[in-house]
Amino acid sequence: MSLGVTCLRFRHGTELMTAMPPALAIQDLHFSYGRDHFEIVVPSMQLAPAEQVLLTGGSGTGKSTILQLIAGLVDPQQGVVRVAGENMHAMRGAARDRFRGAHIGMIFQTFNLLQGFSALENVLAALMFSEMPKLSHRARARELLQSLGIARPEALVETMSVGQQQRVAVARAVACRPALVLADEPTASLDPENSAAAIELIQRTCSESGAALLCTSHDPAMKERFPRVESLDALRRPVIAQVGAGAGA
Amino acid sequence: MNDFTIIRRSLAARKLSTIFTSLSVAVAVALMLVLLMMRDSGRAAFERGSGNMHLLLSADSDPLTAILNSVFLAAPPRRPIEHAKFEQLAMRAPWEFFIPTQIGDSYQGLPVFATTGEFFTKFKPDPVEPWKLQSGRFFDKNFEIVLGSRAAQETGLKPGDKISLTHGMPKTRAQLQEEGITGDVPAPHVHDEYKFEVVGILEPTGGAHDRALMTGITGAWILHAHDRREKAEHEKDAAEANKEEGHDHADEHDHEHEALTTEADLIDSDRKITGVYARVMTRPGSDSSAMIPVVFAQMRADPTITVAQPTQEIDKLFRIVGSVDQILIAMAAVVAASSGISILLALYNSMEQRRRQIAVLRVLGASAGRIFRLVLAESLILGAIGAAFGVAVALIGAQIVASEMKARLGLVIEPSIAPLMGVYVVVGAILLAGIAGLLPAIVAYRTSVAKNLRPLG
Repeated sequence: MSLGVTCLRFRHGTELMTAMPPALAIQDLHFSYGRDHFEIVVPSMQLAPAEQVLLTGGSGTGKSTILQLIAGLVDPQQGVVRVAGENMHAMRGAARDRFRGAHIGMIFQTFNLLQGFSALENVLAALMFSEMPKLSHRARARELLQSLGIARPEALVETMSVGQQQRVAVARAVACRPALVLADEPTASLDPENSAAAIELIQRTCSESGAALLCTSHDPAMKERFPRVESLDALRRPVIAQVGAGAGA
Repeated sequence: MNDFTIIRRSLAARKLSTIFTSLSVAVAVALMLVLLMMRDSGRAAFERGSGNMHLLLSADSDPLTAILNSVFLAAPPRRPIEHAKFEQLAMRAPWEFFIPTQIGDSYQGLPVFATTGEFFTKFKPDPVEPWKLQSGRFFDKNFEIVLGSRAAQETGLKPGDKISLTHGMPKTRAQLQEEGITGDVPAPHVHDEYKFEVVGILEPTGGAHDRALMTGITGAWILHAHDRREKAEHEKDAAEANKEEGHDHADEHDHEHEALTTEADLIDSDRKITGVYARVMTRPGSDSSAMIPVVFAQMRADPTITVAQPTQEIDKLFRIVGSVDQILIAMAAVVAASSGISILLALYNSMEQRRRQIAVLRVLGASAGRIFRLVLAESLILGAIGAAFGVAVALIGAQIVASEMKARLGLVIEPSIAPLMGVYVVVGAILLAGIAGLLPAIVAYRTSVAKNLRPLG
């Protein structure tokens, strides 16, 4: 696997050229399930640090499944998925869970916030499983929520508007300063106006936190917002398509 | 934010279920503790009360009643031993002490225990501990009172106070109805001709005597002799009034009645004894003697008295109560098991609603093992909350049972949990909750993350 060359820019203007692993690197990924042997095959795919990529595809093409494979929630039959240089599927049990908590943020269409918990606690829940020092958790969570415009961080998430819930979900995804944020159809349930605002928020937050973003969507309008777009439609067998071979937007 | 916050939120989200599940554990723990407390404290109270006496003699119908009446002051014995009989019995064995007692009067519902000075010098409420005074002195004259510790507490009396005793023990309406008396509860007769002076207060012993007022037996005889004489005078007056119809001699007669009865006025029938605390001569430092069974058999052969060996009677009582005890403890165990099942069901049913929450926590980095521990900890906390509540309920419940035992049987029980037993019950309840939480924890452990995050692909 080739390592990407990353340019780190510091606040005082100096630049340091350093070798950093890509945020995501997939090699020869094979996954099949179900009676009809639905298959996902990804020969190669890479996301550089802080890169933002849109994965498009119709319903049932396996967009969510590929995100679950990347997050290590599902094991492939074959292939390697590296996140920040670490082979996800080589790690087992708690080690993989810990790694996921520290290096991958996830945003869902329905937000999947912890009901009965406040906005602050939802963000703290993500930090709880991270490697960040415990003492910094509360300040980090408050700072994030404030920067995303959450005025009442102690309010229960179920009492918040949809827009606010989405902000909490975004804050939770980037709380641990992950290398990679996986956004699974984050705008599917929103109208076009809110959809644009939501994706803008996600992209901006990921940029600010330096996280790469892999976002799935079946909304053609989203294509304009991403510098790089990959299609999953070709991944279903028997046709094997190669993702990352330059199929740009 | 820590695991406890997640557990707390989870319990709060199912408030009603949490409350009822904890309550079911609390009921089981409380039931178990009250039963164990009452069994242990009850036995201790019974064992304490008889002190260093070997035998109790009375005219009660059976030995157990004799012990309950004369040692635990449950009720005044119905039949007394005549004084002549007492003197005869005193000569029939080598007694270390042979102390007459009389129960019959009361003060503010507390029993008055009339006896001799030997009760304080020879009888020990605890086989190795003699009586100790909190304040004042033991009585040495008629009409002096020494208060048991609880009696002092309940009446607020102190040395130097003077009181009048009430004839008999006050009866409740229920007791009167049992005796076939209906209507208003008659006012008790107060022996206000004689004032008794409080001269001392005893240290607590944990026995029934703590709630008694101890006085000299001769003074008690004088009280009743005075009643007898007054009654005789009234009968005589009535007879004379019948003879001299229409002539009022009341003033003259009243004057005659004012003469107080003294020891010199006592006749044999006044010297009533309701029980005798007896101890057979033993070697110094020894509590037993080969003579005890011999004397016991000899006394038992006398059909006019009832002789009881306190230790045997207490054993007998606990054998009777023991089987009931075991049934109740078995019932408490069944309640405990059902509380375990209710925890299992509450958590298991909640798993269906919590699959998504578990999946989200897994995505955030919680391992399956940690989820397992979270659910198990939640179950243990439910058990701990229930157990803590159960201990509180048990302490209150035991006080209620103890006061009922005191009111109904006159038995003073100081409910307390043997620390180790309390720990066993509480730890047992928590462990049971833990076992009940295993299945839901396994379900949580095996929850598929991918399936429970709404698939959108």
